[in-house]
Amino acid sequence: MAIRNTTRRWGAIAQLLHWLIALFIIAQFTLALLFADLPAGARKLTLLARHKSIGISILMLACLRLGWRWANPTPTLPDTLKPYERSLARFTHALLYVLLFAVPFTGWTMSSARGFPVSWFGLFTLPDLVPKDKSLYNMLVTTHTVLAWILGGVVTLHLGAALKHHFMLKDDVLRRMLPFVSHKPQGSAR
Amino acid sequence: MRIPAPSLAAFLLVSFPSFSADAPAVPHYALDAAKSTLEFSFTQAGAQNKGKFTHYTVNFDFSPDNLAASRLEVTIDVASLATGDQERDDTLRDADLFAVKKFPQARFSATQIVKSASGYEAVGKLTIRDATREARVPFTFRVASEAGTNAGYMAGKTTLKRLDYGVGQGDWKATDQVGNDVSVSFALRLTAAAH
Repeated sequence: MAIRNTTRRWGAIAQLLHWLIALFIIAQFTLALLFADLPAGARKLTLLARHKSIGISILMLACLRLGWRWANPTPTLPDTLKPYERSLARFTHALLYVLLFAVPFTGWTMSSARGFPVSWFGLFTLPDLVPKDKSLYNMLVTTHTVLAWILGGVVTLHLGAALKHHFMLKDDVLRRMLPFVSHKPQGSAR
Repeated sequence: MRIPAPSLAAFLLVSFPSFSADAPAVPHYALDAAKSTLEFSFTQAGAQNKGKFTHYTVNFDFSPDNLAASRLEVTIDVASLATGDQERDDTLRDADLFAVKKFPQARFSATQIVKSASGYEAVGKLTIRDATREARVPFTFRVASEAGTNAGYMAGKTTLKRLDYGVGQGDWKATDQVGNDVSVSFALRLTAAAH
């Protein structure tokens, strides 16, 4: 597999970033749902610390991903798509990118507003984005939660679309993001 | 009536034992709470966090010329801890950490004060919860004359291991999220009691 993208297929770096972020998003929802019900304590603190570290990782990977996307060709959408489907796909992808930044960013700001500095796996501490502010914190908890659920919804839509392309439209939209599937430019069914 | 000189001397010696030539006076200092801070700093989830105690008393008998008679006694109302976060403060007061209902006070009692390279060191016993351990607390001390009274400025910093004192039971025994090392720093203003 090529390192860089082509107009027909995602390269190794883009795929790695895509799947790593996907894995981290699943981890984030799992952690968030786990600590949501816990009383304040050591266990909650541990899960929260992991959640914050992974969230910052997503933010860092999202930066890399956006940079890599700009520096690479983007595989084109299949010709079979109708104009509104193209617009919808573009909008969904843009929204995913926005949320990949917005969700971790609101989480980080929320932590700062609470007065808890964010550490990345205990290796370094991030600067506080805002001074301690209880009402701002309460507002950001809601914002972070709502944005996270929107992200969950858009990811589900994204997943559904990928599966529809693969199983119903039988094009290579999903395959070209999969690392171990050979790409057959002429062989794909239309 | 004339008081015979020897009995006057005896009277002075009995009333003011510190007048005797080989044991200089040891002034007593008490805390000026409004101008003092007692803080602690700890790692939480990898980041440095701070807190302070707002209620404590300090009794300090000190003369640099009579360290043998110098004493330091600090009593802390543990429930007065404040880390800037209500939920965290409540957690710290709970049974698994400071257990303030059962152990409302922490105490440092130094019976020995020694000169060190950079100032002094108070050597004594520190009690937190139900654990008492030998502790050495380095400090600096200077006296300033302010509006007719003597104010003493005492400052220092030391590091404790919270688990030595059982501050962390159950899950809190783990040190990966809340570090074992807790740094304690103080900057106290003390006022000399009038004799």
